[in-house]
Amino acid sequence: MLIKILSMANIGLKSENVDVEVNVADKGFPSFGIVGLAGRSVDETKERVKTAIINSDIEFPVAKITVNLAPADLAKDGSAYDLPVAIGVIAAIGEVKLPKEKAYFYGELSLDGSLHHSRGVFLLALLAKENGVKDLFVPRMSANEASVVEGINVYPVDNLKTLIKHLNGEKLIEPLKAINVTEILNDIRPEFDFNEILGQQQAKRALEIAAAGGHNIFMMGPPGSGKTMLARAMAGILPNLTEKESLEVTKIYSLTGNIPPGGSLVRQRPFRGPHHTTSQIGLIGGGSNPRPGEISLAHRGVLFLDEFPEFGRNSLEALRQPLEDGYVCISRASGSMTFPAQFMLVAAANPCPCGHLGDPKKECKCGSYQVLNYQKKLSGPIMDRIDLHLTVPAVDVNNLMIDKQKVSGESSLEIKKRINEARKIQSERFKDLAHIHSNSDMKNSHLKEFAKLSDEANLLLKQAVNKFALSARSYFRLIKVSRTIADLEKAEIIKEFHVAEALQYRL
Amino acid sequence: MKIENYNKGKNGEDMAREFLVKKGYELVMMNYENKIGEIDLVVIDKDFLVFVEVKLKVGDKFGIPEEMIDKRKLSQIKRVAESFLILENKIAKKFKKYRIDALCIVLNEVDKEIERINHYENI
Repeated sequence: MLIKILSMANIGLKSENVDVEVNVADKGFPSFGIVGLAGRSVDETKERVKTAIINSDIEFPVAKITVNLAPADLAKDGSAYDLPVAIGVIAAIGEVKLPKEKAYFYGELSLDGSLHHSRGVFLLALLAKENGVKDLFVPRMSANEASVVEGINVYPVDNLKTLIKHLNGEKLIEPLKAINVTEILNDIRPEFDFNEILGQQQAKRALEIAAAGGHNIFMMGPPGSGKTMLARAMAGILPNLTEKESLEVTKIYSLTGNIPPGGSLVRQRPFRGPHHTTSQIGLIGGGSNPRPGEISLAHRGVLFLDEFPEFGRNSLEALRQPLEDGYVCISRASGSMTFPAQFMLVAAANPCPCGHLGDPKKECKCGSYQVLNYQKKLSGPIMDRIDLHLTVPAVDVNNLMIDKQKVSGESSLEIKKRINEARKIQSERFKDLAHIHSNSDMKNSHLKEFAKLSDEANLLLKQAVNKFALSARSYFRLIKVSRTIADLEKAEIIKEFHVAEALQYRL
Repeated sequence: MKIENYNKGKNGEDMAREFLVKKGYELVMMNYENKIGEIDLVVIDKDFLVFVEVKLKVGDKFGIPEEMIDKRKLSQIKRVAESFLILENKIAKKFKKYRIDALCIVLNEVDKEIERINHYENI
């Protein structure tokens, strides 16, 4: 008997329908085979399905079982075909009635017949909505991911037995209630506070601007001045994810299996801090079956590259295109795919190998050639793409003495409030534009409409560009940063002091 | 233990031969053996020369006999069958079609009576 069951395959961030065809033939030598360009993990499905069915008190048929995953020319990988294959086999021997309406089955089986957390369930829900399929049968641990998508019924499945009972109408599984997206988005709290960092007011201000507009920032300073701490604290002042942004991030995290069991939407802006030994592919994405790299995992969030010059030159230069475009297109023999990479780059570095170049108190021990070599790694094109350049000076230790210590400056919560307000202005501004959420996402063509400069500001900008020979890219980026500074003050038109502050971080 | 298994196998092959002869097959050779391996039964089914692998199991404690014939075993049988076609050319040249069958026998654990015999053609 031939049974057809609907499931899904992922190619990059795109999902496609897969028909799982199961044929249990009475004639022929008993065997169990899967065809349809199945990868190794799909091949192992046979063993899991067989054992899970036996352990669910169903006799496994002694017959020639052929499974076809159509379309057959599409490479399939992953363990999520366990459930459709198992249900197909059980339906073929008449132990279960399949639903009349089309439904998706998706999930990895355990040997005892229960279902494991499987990656990509969120993408499945989006696919179901797109195709107008109402019912989804997914592992309970992953069901929350799907329940944020409206208009579908998500059935959380514990194990094969309960699913069979449900399908046979003996004991129904309660579909999950749809989770209200805005409700869960507001439920976050900061983990690290800005007022724990003493001094460094200028750096804090620059980080605030960067977070408010999603601008790239580069911090240079001697070791121990607090660059890393500032960057880590930044995670606490990042603006809340909007609903649209959260869906974008969740898509990537669901695909890569980064959503914990029972989790649903990604609520916090990603903050990724890969080590400087990370390979180019680890950073950008790739592999023979392309997978997203750190820059895509940092989509709509922060990519923090500590010890910036220590990264491989290839890795750093590969950042150029995604920094400009906000996405990365990876082409391999198996196909070409595009991953979003709209991230905010936060980089930190020492000025020289010993770290004390330009330090008023400590002498630099590096030779000029050494310094040159070190700084050569930070190529012009990369530095040109960074909006805010910042020197983080060493802190006077006298001010850090425990007895003198007082809480300095504002707390992260206060800063975050301002940033959230600035972001609100921005999302209102870009509400009609898809994929543009913050000032740094703006294309140059948008500037005329959204970043109106006062006459004085225009004049100042012109003079600066001529005097410092700024590149065309720098010019546009300067306007974007000025826009953010104006937004922080809730100013409609960009004034000259907004431009002046932006200029100060550029030079 | 080994001898016991060997006798059991012999017993199985006898049962298989009986079963196939009753079905109208003609026996050519039993336990054909050369340096590549062995074939349990070589029989004739109309215009086919058939190589038969016999599997016998007592009870189902250790799985069903069908599980014992996997891809590796099948390719092994194929290799021996091909060598048979060359080495026993006198017999082989009378036939244009060949095939490999499997005969799976399950014995009852208690009284060693036949529980089932399944004949799979052209595996």
